[in-house]
Amino acid sequence: MLVVVCIKQVPDTTQVKIDPVTGNLIREGVPFIMNPFDTHALEEGLRLKGKYGLNVAVISMGPPNTEITLRKALALGVDNAVLLSDRAFGGADTLATSKVLAEATRQLAQKEEVVIVLCGKQTIDGDTAQVGPGIATRLGYSQLTLVEHIENIDLQAKKIIARRKLEGRDEVVEASLPAMISVVREINTPRYPTVPMRLMAEGATVTLWDNKEMKLNEETIGLKGSATQVRKIFSPERAVGEILGDGAANPDEAANLLIDKLSEGGLILI
Amino acid sequence: MTNSILFLTIFLISISFFGWSCFRYFRLITLGKAENRFDHLGKRIRDLFLYSFAQRCSISGSYRFGVNHAILFWCFMILLVANTEFLLAGIFPDYINLANLPTGLYYTIALIFDIASLLALLAVLTAAGRRLFFPPKYIEARTRDAFFILGMVAVLMLAFFGLHSSEIAQGSERAALYMPISSFVASSILPGASTESLISLANISWWIHAIVLLCFLNYLPYSKHMHILTVIPNSFFKRLTRMSLQPREEFNKGNVFGVGQVDQFTWKALFDSYCCTECGRCSDVCPATSTNKPLNPRLVIHDIKENLLTNGPMLINKEQAKLPLIGGGQDGSIDEEVIWECTTCGACMEVCPAFIEHVPRITDMRRDLVEMKARFPQELLNFFENMEQRSNPWGIAPAERTKWAAKINVQPFEAGKTECLFFVGCAGAYDARSRHVTLAVTKILDSAGVSWGILGKDEPCCGDSLRRLGNEYVFDRMVKENIEMFKEKGVRKVITQCPHCYHTLKNDYRRYGIELEVVHHTELINNLIKEGRLELTQTRDLGNIAFHDSCYLGRYNNIYEAPRKAIALATNQAPVEMERHHDRSFCCGAGGGRMWMEEKIGKHINVLRIEEAMKENPETICVCCPYCMTMFEDGLKDKGADNRVKVLDLAEIIAKAIK
Amino acid sequence: MEEKKKIKKPRGKARLIPGKCIACGARCQSSCPKDAIEMTEDCEPVISIEECIGCLKCIKVCPADAIEIYFTPEEQRILDEIKARSRAVAEPEAEVLSDKEAAALAKIKQYKGVWVFIEQTEGEPALVAWELLGAGAELARTLNVELCSVVIGNKVEELCRESFAYGVTRSYLMDAPVFRFYRTEPYCQAICYLVEKYKPEIVLVGATGLGRDLAGAVATKLETGLTADCTGLAIDDKGFLLQTRPAFGGNIMATILTENTRPQMSTVRPRVMSLPVRDASLRGEIVRESMPLKEDDFTTKVLEIIKDSKLDAVDVAAADVIVSGGRGMCARENFSILQELADELGGVVGCSRSVVEAGWMPVERQVGQTGKTVRPKLYIACGISGAIQHLVGMQDSDVIIAINQDRQAPIFEVASYGIVGDVLKVVPVITRRISELRAQRIKPKENRQPITKNAGDRKGRKHID
Repeated sequence: MLVVVCIKQVPDTTQVKIDPVTGNLIREGVPFIMNPFDTHALEEGLRLKGKYGLNVAVISMGPPNTEITLRKALALGVDNAVLLSDRAFGGADTLATSKVLAEATRQLAQKEEVVIVLCGKQTIDGDTAQVGPGIATRLGYSQLTLVEHIENIDLQAKKIIARRKLEGRDEVVEASLPAMISVVREINTPRYPTVPMRLMAEGATVTLWDNKEMKLNEETIGLKGSATQVRKIFSPERAVGEILGDGAANPDEAANLLIDKLSEGGLILI
Repeated sequence: MTNSILFLTIFLISISFFGWSCFRYFRLITLGKAENRFDHLGKRIRDLFLYSFAQRCSISGSYRFGVNHAILFWCFMILLVANTEFLLAGIFPDYINLANLPTGLYYTIALIFDIASLLALLAVLTAAGRRLFFPPKYIEARTRDAFFILGMVAVLMLAFFGLHSSEIAQGSERAALYMPISSFVASSILPGASTESLISLANISWWIHAIVLLCFLNYLPYSKHMHILTVIPNSFFKRLTRMSLQPREEFNKGNVFGVGQVDQFTWKALFDSYCCTECGRCSDVCPATSTNKPLNPRLVIHDIKENLLTNGPMLINKEQAKLPLIGGGQDGSIDEEVIWECTTCGACMEVCPAFIEHVPRITDMRRDLVEMKARFPQELLNFFENMEQRSNPWGIAPAERTKWAAKINVQPFEAGKTECLFFVGCAGAYDARSRHVTLAVTKILDSAGVSWGILGKDEPCCGDSLRRLGNEYVFDRMVKENIEMFKEKGVRKVITQCPHCYHTLKNDYRRYGIELEVVHHTELINNLIKEGRLELTQTRDLGNIAFHDSCYLGRYNNIYEAPRKAIALATNQAPVEMERHHDRSFCCGAGGGRMWMEEKIGKHINVLRIEEAMKENPETICVCCPYCMTMFEDGLKDKGADNRVKVLDLAEIIAKAIK
Repeated sequence: MEEKKKIKKPRGKARLIPGKCIACGARCQSSCPKDAIEMTEDCEPVISIEECIGCLKCIKVCPADAIEIYFTPEEQRILDEIKARSRAVAEPEAEVLSDKEAAALAKIKQYKGVWVFIEQTEGEPALVAWELLGAGAELARTLNVELCSVVIGNKVEELCRESFAYGVTRSYLMDAPVFRFYRTEPYCQAICYLVEKYKPEIVLVGATGLGRDLAGAVATKLETGLTADCTGLAIDDKGFLLQTRPAFGGNIMATILTENTRPQMSTVRPRVMSLPVRDASLRGEIVRESMPLKEDDFTTKVLEIIKDSKLDAVDVAAADVIVSGGRGMCARENFSILQELADELGGVVGCSRSVVEAGWMPVERQVGQTGKTVRPKLYIACGISGAIQHLVGMQDSDVIIAINQDRQAPIFEVASYGIVGDVLKVVPVITRRISELRAQRIKPKENRQPITKNAGDRKGRKHID
């Protein structure tokens, strides 16, 4: 039985800065990393492997250099890594992305029964949290988002019990397998690769699936299959370092100025 | 004749047993991995004489009882000859006898032996007295083992005098006049004794001497006095650099990385464990031990020895080791937390009179934990990721590396256009406090007309903490990339403001095939002043300046005087020394990657050091390292003294003194 | 005329404007009909001059306006010539729609109205739903269409009426025991059923855990566009919904459209849109719908709901608002003023390393290099100087407020707004002011019904059969 972990290689957005003069993004030297939320999904997959003896496959849709990130997953102990890369996949929004990932899962499931698909809660570059539900819906799997703890998996009865983290409450939910689970960062602490595993991963194979392999209708994937279009992109106005009033002499005035700023920015509701 | 045969039998049994003990012990050394300690023979032989026979370590420093050890050592060397003669004469009484030597020579030897025996006796009494009345801090010094050995030596000396004085009293010793002590005993205690009782006294003394001597010999390998056999060779095998440099690792499939089992140490590491004299000096100076943390360098070495003795025989027979080297929770096994507590300050190695190399052993085991087991304090996960993916400890964007230079004009480094690379370092570039130091350094460089440039956002981290934390794999990859970039850019001369960058670029990078001319700003400043390029026109009194030696400048690279001279010139006043200074300086607590970990057990090292500094009533504490800066400022805040005492980097003090 | 037409109009070549590319994910490459674009390791396009036919597709698709067309001087000369000649006969290039596009356009014209999903848990509505009604009303006004609410649950009709008070004129209600607890499958089916039947053009959902779970499933099922976490909603001249949201870790803002499918779906974060004024006198129509859904159709079961009030651990890393204290707070007791501000803002109290060292706060609250890395919407640093160990743990927060006595403290370098002053004086003033302002605002709304139906018996840990 197989656990499929969906990962995305993303630019490390915490490293991206805006050029104060041109307003352009400074991306030079910014590394591509495994989406931090996905590292927790991967870790959970590896823990399930340890606990239930499941095999773990990672899939990732992206440009050819995504292979580097897939090798990192191999170094952590996954059994199989599949790179979904094709020009036709490019420019995809979440709808078109989930199409490709769901299809890849379906094809993997033809060889080995898939019990769980794991995703990170969201990505740090897109922040949408939509691909996981997209995959679940397309495959007809149970959908458990924002999981902070997997309490039990019964492979015989095909049941899973998981604890979800929502605003102001946790929910303990039972669902049938196969299930798509998106995880929050609190679920675990990702492991660090050992050197022998890294060396092994350097020579391991990353399977490449392009659209010849996947045979998806090109109208439903990539840019063409995307329902949303980005019309324009602009720099947000971000206040930096504005000192409000004279807090030492007149704390009331400074406090009022601050509250004005915060309510203008929608940060506090008055 | 019967005596000779009886003695011969006893002698053969005990010497065989001793031989077997030695064989058993030293065969275990062969389990260790290869390491070349036979290079630079000339230097090694010189060290052998300097450190063993001249007892340089015992005498040097503030160890009052070191002289006692030197006396005992030399008495032992002399009496080694005496006792060899004694044993051989016991077996071949008819053939071997010192008395057969030419008269002059024999008299001289007799005199030397007699005096040496007395000195040895006195030294042994002093040692016992010290253990009774001025006990060292650690408990083992007063164990039965110590008193037993001292007792044996005392008995040997007493038997020596018993034998010789009774012979003198009998009138059968022709060198009596040249044996003042034995003669004194003979004349003051023995006159009037009958010949028979004198003969039996001589006999008894002889047998006591013989038996105790053989017992002593056989007891040696099983006690801390094994060092008598091992330290002399170890002074030959001693490291030739100030601090030993960790060897590189080859990252090939199937290799084992670090040391997780005792036979993965090098033979030298194993041999070191036989050399410990349990003198406790390393424990006294260790920042972790001094602040009540479980790490004690002496016990680390002790555990390695115990582990070798337990597992060695099994490993020799190709069996599985029984006792884990790390985390076994018992004697002979080292706890993981102990391994992470080391600041790699090198104080233990500096003071060890037996040339044991503690720090590399810790790093060896850290490598095992990181590289083979991926087990480390969880704070380090973030740190390792940041280093690997973002080439700085905090994971800050490369675009921010030049933020410190926003208000000044800085040249990018270009070979041909700029002479030196100013390697700002991660702290110097990102840390708000250290950025002031960076600016001070640039002011000095410009004032002295040094041609310098920076790498800006392309500057990588040197990788120091990775190496000290045992993450050699990532360090290896970073260094290879960095060196390629240095070569591409034509970097030859490098100025650093961080002792860790300095040591790493200068000493560690050499092993990767790049010889950089690295200079730390302390040295540079001192040289610029000396050469007259830097004019200190506004020398000013900054009050009492307490100077703190950074481990990686001082102990690791022998830079002690340059900063002191510079302070004296800039303030017209020499800095005050803290209680521990120069090579005995006490770590700030941040080295060895400790900067990135929480200090959960015991007193904080930086607080202890701050308390020491505060005793000198300083207005300013001068440091030369961004880590020390952080630790001292934090310590002052902890003590609530940050409004009274300032921490300044040397560069800042100098920058104040120039226009 | 014929002679003139023979001059072939040069189309130019596309080229990348340095520094503008944001590595959006190879939209340009994907759009290129000639495969003339290769991506670099940094995911920026390299456009082959030989292959490029100047079709402008990549330029149109590039969200960052990072590609431009350029002409050689020779081409430019020809262009100028053409321009000069054709000045008289200005021929506006009419956009020709393909059949496919025309069909799509016809289809989307069938969709009308703005819908807001009213999120509720055990009958208690999420505040974001009312906020969305405010935004939805604006959109409906611009489009001149109806504002509707969608209420799904068990015994939740009251919420339909409550939504009328915020300007809804028609409320769709699906009320059945099977909807008692939120589960993706029944809720998704219910919404899809309603959408397919009534065809709204816009569906707004709160970007809560529940809302994002639902919207993602619904949009996939309906094969339509969904834009997450919008901070701005507007209507363009063609009647499309302009959805503006932060992207790239908040470094840029993107305006996103769903041009060819309907409905246009957005999720909107709580506290982004302001709460509209409630008018209890407003009335509307409730449209009751039902589906033949049985409990046995669903394998997912909610076993237990555990309220955060019963969870002992305060999770700093997951909080949207953090009020953090440093050594400048002077004493452990003073952290109570931070807790009061945090309570007022619905946030939690964090702290710097030195506070943990001093034993004033537990280590779980520590933000920084060796503590938690946080990225809240609002981070208020009180009496924190901003040592680098702390900064790296919080500098990616959306808005940072620094309150510190020392103007030189590095915390002001990363702060959006700063107050230089005594934290012990400033913070209580802020707390008091917010609470006063809120009290003033709440008063006129006193007639607001307690919509939290079973607020009285809210149990911390509740078992469900």
